[in-house]
This record gives sequence, C-alpha cells and structure tokens, in this order.
Amino acid sequence: MSDILLEIKDLGIQFNTGKGPIQPIRGVSFSLKSGETLGVVGESGSGKSVTSLAVMGLLPEKKSKIVSGSIHFNDEDITKLSEKQYRKLRGNEMSMIFQEPMTSLNPVFTIGELLSEPLKQHKKMSKKERKEAIINVLKQVGIPRAEQIINEYPHQLSGGMRQRVMISLALLCEPKLLICDEPTTALDVTIQAQILELMKEIKAEKNMSLLFITHDLGVVAEMCDRVVVMYAGEIVEVAEINELFDQPLHPYTQGLIHSRPTNNSRKSALYSIKGQVPRPEEIGIGCTFANRCPHAFEKCLKETPPIFEKGDHLSKCWLQDSKRQAVMK
Amino acid sequence: MLAAGFKKAGGDEMTDIPILEVTNLKKYYKISQGLFKSNIVVKAVDDISFSIKKGETFALVGESGCGKSTTGRTLLRLTEATSGEVRYKGKDLMSLPYEKMRFLRKELQMVFQDPYASLNPKMTIKQILTEPLRVHKKYTPSERTKKIIEILKIVGLSEEHLDRHPNEFSGGQRQRIGIARAVILNPDFIVADEPVSALDVSVQSQVINLMLDLQKEFELTYLFISHDLSVVEHMTDRVAVMYLGKIVELTETEKLFKDPKHPYTQALISAVPASHPREVKKRIVLTGDVPNPANPPSGCAFHTRCPFVMEKCKSIAPNLTEVADGHQTSCHLYSEKKEEKTNVIIHSEV
Repeated sequence: MSDILLEIKDLGIQFNTGKGPIQPIRGVSFSLKSGETLGVVGESGSGKSVTSLAVMGLLPEKKSKIVSGSIHFNDEDITKLSEKQYRKLRGNEMSMIFQEPMTSLNPVFTIGELLSEPLKQHKKMSKKERKEAIINVLKQVGIPRAEQIINEYPHQLSGGMRQRVMISLALLCEPKLLICDEPTTALDVTIQAQILELMKEIKAEKNMSLLFITHDLGVVAEMCDRVVVMYAGEIVEVAEINELFDQPLHPYTQGLIHSRPTNNSRKSALYSIKGQVPRPEEIGIGCTFANRCPHAFEKCLKETPPIFEKGDHLSKCWLQDSKRQAVMK
Repeated sequence: MLAAGFKKAGGDEMTDIPILEVTNLKKYYKISQGLFKSNIVVKAVDDISFSIKKGETFALVGESGCGKSTTGRTLLRLTEATSGEVRYKGKDLMSLPYEKMRFLRKELQMVFQDPYASLNPKMTIKQILTEPLRVHKKYTPSERTKKIIEILKIVGLSEEHLDRHPNEFSGGQRQRIGIARAVILNPDFIVADEPVSALDVSVQSQVINLMLDLQKEFELTYLFISHDLSVVEHMTDRVAVMYLGKIVELTETEKLFKDPKHPYTQALISAVPASHPREVKKRIVLTGDVPNPANPPSGCAFHTRCPFVMEKCKSIAPNLTEVADGHQTSCHLYSEKKEEKTNVIIHSEV
C-alpha cells in the first residue's frame, strides 16, 4: 500500500439548478497521507463540504455529477464505483462526522440501534458481540453509563454527548479515513475543547487519517498537520500548518489570518477582506479572488492563475509568479 | 461620512453615569408537569445585577443555555421579567405601561443573532427600514426615504438596494440591514445578541468594524451578548460571565482576560483555540456538560465541573463579591481563609 491514502485529482463537480448548470467545484486536487490530519478551510460556499460529500459518494444523484477528475482511495478510483460497492466502503473504510449532532442522528432509534447498524452492515457478529463492541466504543469516547445510554434516544442527550455518539458511530468499524465536517461548530467552547482533545487521542491510538473541514482557523491550528485553503470552489493554497500561519502566500489566506480579533490590537478596526464570496454563477474569467484582493493587478482580472509550487507550499496567485521571475533574473 | 442630521449634540465619551441599572433581575419559566404534579421552575435568569455606563460596550458571555439572551430580551421587555428592576436613565422599565414602553423603544434597540430569521422575507428593504420610523411617527414620508438612503450608505449598502427583498442579500449584508434598522431611530442603547456568530470569518470582521464605527459616530452604548471570547476581548469594555442563570464574574475586559478569577472563567478562556499552531495552551478541560437548568446542582451551580471543588461548594451558594478593585466574582475560593487563597494564586500563575 502506498503512503497516500486519499488522492483527489482535478476534481470538478457540476450542479444542475433551475437556471442551468453551475460548477461549485473546479479543479480541486489534494492528497491525504495515511496517519495525517489535513485541514480544509474556507468560508461557506467555498465548496469544502461538497468536496467531502464527493469523497463519501453522497452527492445528490440527480442534481449533480462529477464532470472531471478522479478520487483515489487506497489506489482505487472511487468515482466509478456503483452504489453497492460504495456501501461496502462507507462506514467501514471511511466514515464521516457531520456538523449538526442534533439533526444527524435519527430520532426514532435508540443509541444502541443506531450504533448496531454499521456493524450489521459490515461485520459478522452475534447480537451479544455487537452489544459489547458498542459499549466498548461508547466508553472509548468518554460517555458515562454506556450500558444505559444504549437504550436511550438522541433527544435525551446533550449536544456534546450527541457529538460523542456521532464519533463513536464513525469509529465502530475502525475506518482508515475519517472525514469531520465542522464537528465542533455547533458546540460550546468548553465542549469543543473536550471533543477536540478526544479526537486527537483517538487519532493517535488508531492511526487514522483525518480530513478536517472547518472555517475556524483556531481549530485548524490545534488539530492539523497540513492545510488546504479553499475559496469559491478552488484551492488557493496548500501548506504545512506552521508555514501557513507564518508565511501565508495567498492574499485570501493572509486576509483570513489577519482578520482574526486576536491578531489585532484591542478596540482598533479589524483588518477585513472587503466584499463577499462570489456566488458560483458570478464567477467569470481571471482569478476568483481578484475583485476582493488588495494586490490585484491587470493580469489577475484576465487570466486564471495556475498553481505555483514552492517546495510543499502551493498557492494559486499571480503574485508568486512575479516573485519567481525576480529571483530568476 | 455622516449627515449632520444624524449626529448628536454634545460630545462627551464614556462617562461613569450608568445608562442602565439592573438589580435583582429574575426570569423564571414554568414547565407544566400535568394536572397533579407541581410545575418545574427553570431559573433562566436568577437574581442578577449589573449596571452599564453610558458609551461603553458591556458583554454578557457564557455557553448556550446560561441565560445571556434571556437577559438581553428581558431588559427590553421582549419577555416579561419575573421580578427585579431595570432602570434606564432613572426610569424603571419594568413598571412602565405598554404604550410608554413602546414609545421608549426608539431609544432602546436590538440587533438579533440570525440575520436570516430576523428580517421579514415578504418586505423590501425600504419597508423594513420604514417600519421603525412609521411606528415612532418620525419625519414625513419623503424625508423618511432620504433618511433610509442615508443610513444604508452608513452601513455600507446603497440606494439601489431599496426595493430588494432580504433573500437577495448575503448573511453579512442582512446583518448590515439588521443593524441599520436598529440605528435608524438614533437610539442610545443597543442590545446586540450574538450579532456576528452566524457570519463567515471575513464578513465577521467587517460587521465588527461597522459596529465600532457606529458606536463612535452615534455614541451608542452596547450590551454585547456573545459566546465568542476573542470577539469579546477585542471590542468590549466590561464583561459579565454567566453560568446557569447567574453572573459568576464581572470585571473590565482586560482584567478578565489577564487574570480570570472564577474557575469557570479560567476554563472558558483556556478553551479558546490557539491563535498559532506553535502556541502551547495550558488547557483546563472541564469534565461533563452544563447541568440541566431545570434541575441545577445545589450550592454553587458550577461545583459538578469545578476542578477546585470543596465540601462547602456543594451546599452553600457563593455570593458575587469584590475580590479586587472592580473585579467581582462568586466563588468560595476567594473567601477569607488563607490556605485557599494560596491555592488560587498558584492557579492564576498557570
């Protein structure tokens, strides 16, 4: 098995809307090494969730299709898989934790019933073994009185507990890849700290790979080894975590980091990126960020920048181009 | 930037005169348990007192369910308080008759959390912004349109947006409209209930800047309700930390972040994610969840999660007392006993 667990190449996804097709994801490529935590950062509408749904094969069938590129998981192109083949992967080799612990657990099943589903699907176990496995995994994620909890319903648990149940659900079959889509956004800070701590522990223990989707740079700083920054359906920067915070290359990443209140002196006007994320139908030629970019020049409006590499640090910005030429001269 | 008509006479900045004084405010909700059982009482806001000075930004901080939003709504009588007194410029708001309170609302406005739910989808922006002027019978209709265009420009929108509906705007723009609606009556006091938490990071900073600008221009006093500590640290003057309906700590913002006294505040501040990957945070991870407010723990409500819990905490509820200059907290750790004090000093060095 190669070192790379998940590799996305030039992924393009198209959605059919009433007004015609739009393409919310264009040319997204990144890879996830095994044992790594890769952060995907971006604002709402940047396409980070759609990308993760594509990996899980959960895109709405009729409305959307993958128009270009491939997703390789374990050296196998999973975009071509049939639904039946996908079911063998989902919940088994890869699983996902969703943002809303309130809405992503079926309210009419008990926790025990919910948790036995992936085991029934993927593992041959007797009822008794299943129960044991469930109680084990619940204890692992720090749920007290696991024996009783399995007979309770999701609404009887608090938000933090529900998110723990979600995590245990994802962990049951010991997946190689765990996708976390804003797992702590709906939680309070003290609970967020608990859950992040828990996820670090579990990851270290099971040697999983995490694809961590969030808009919160603080959470990224705590959790991730490498970061992919997305903007309006494209990747604008990929870098190792320390490098991203020390030397962000793309003006969008710079703006995101500078606009955090902790990086501004108290009571002063915060640095802010003007304007807003363009809607998918508003994207034209040139760099998608050009209309908000403080450094934009003519070329940005006319030509889409390619991805410039500087070691492992990738960024999609014409500024990098001119610097490179300057160095070469 | 501003038209002269919007500016206020007099220019003194923050003063010590309280614009709003809250004493022993309580808001209890009853949950019916059926005919033969007695009702459960949820003490959403349980006997809190604070005062807000003119021109300052006062923050209420806490986790969901701690009663911070209920406090904000009760102050403006959007929900009726169970008991207590709220004095605004000397007048007790709680005993005012409905008509007078309605009249006074032009000075007391609110910005809501969810910009998607707080604007009527059937109304155009012009209608939304005319509403407050019409209710308070300000200006003639033609002057109103002029005012609306003016205020739209102030919040960073323009005349062309007048006849659009809220669904045509992004979250950040909607929140700007929500703020314009609150500011158009030239109020003195604004309750901002999590005004930026539903917004994206890059838009968040725009809205925070707008609020800071407006405060300077209009000499506004804010009650800023938030769970986001980095925003609170950035833009507020004083903070009250709430836990299960009670204020557990109240002091100036800088003091609170430099030297938090209450174990809950310490944990809350330590739980904020790091700002740089190399920053190593000493983290106090609290065990357990916030207890059910319908059945709060006896004694100090925080004792079930407190890392420094003592016997005393389980039975006796601590009172909010001053432990340092202008720094109030309610915790038994700060009672007279010396041994306990040393314990605390060790902790604050961490």
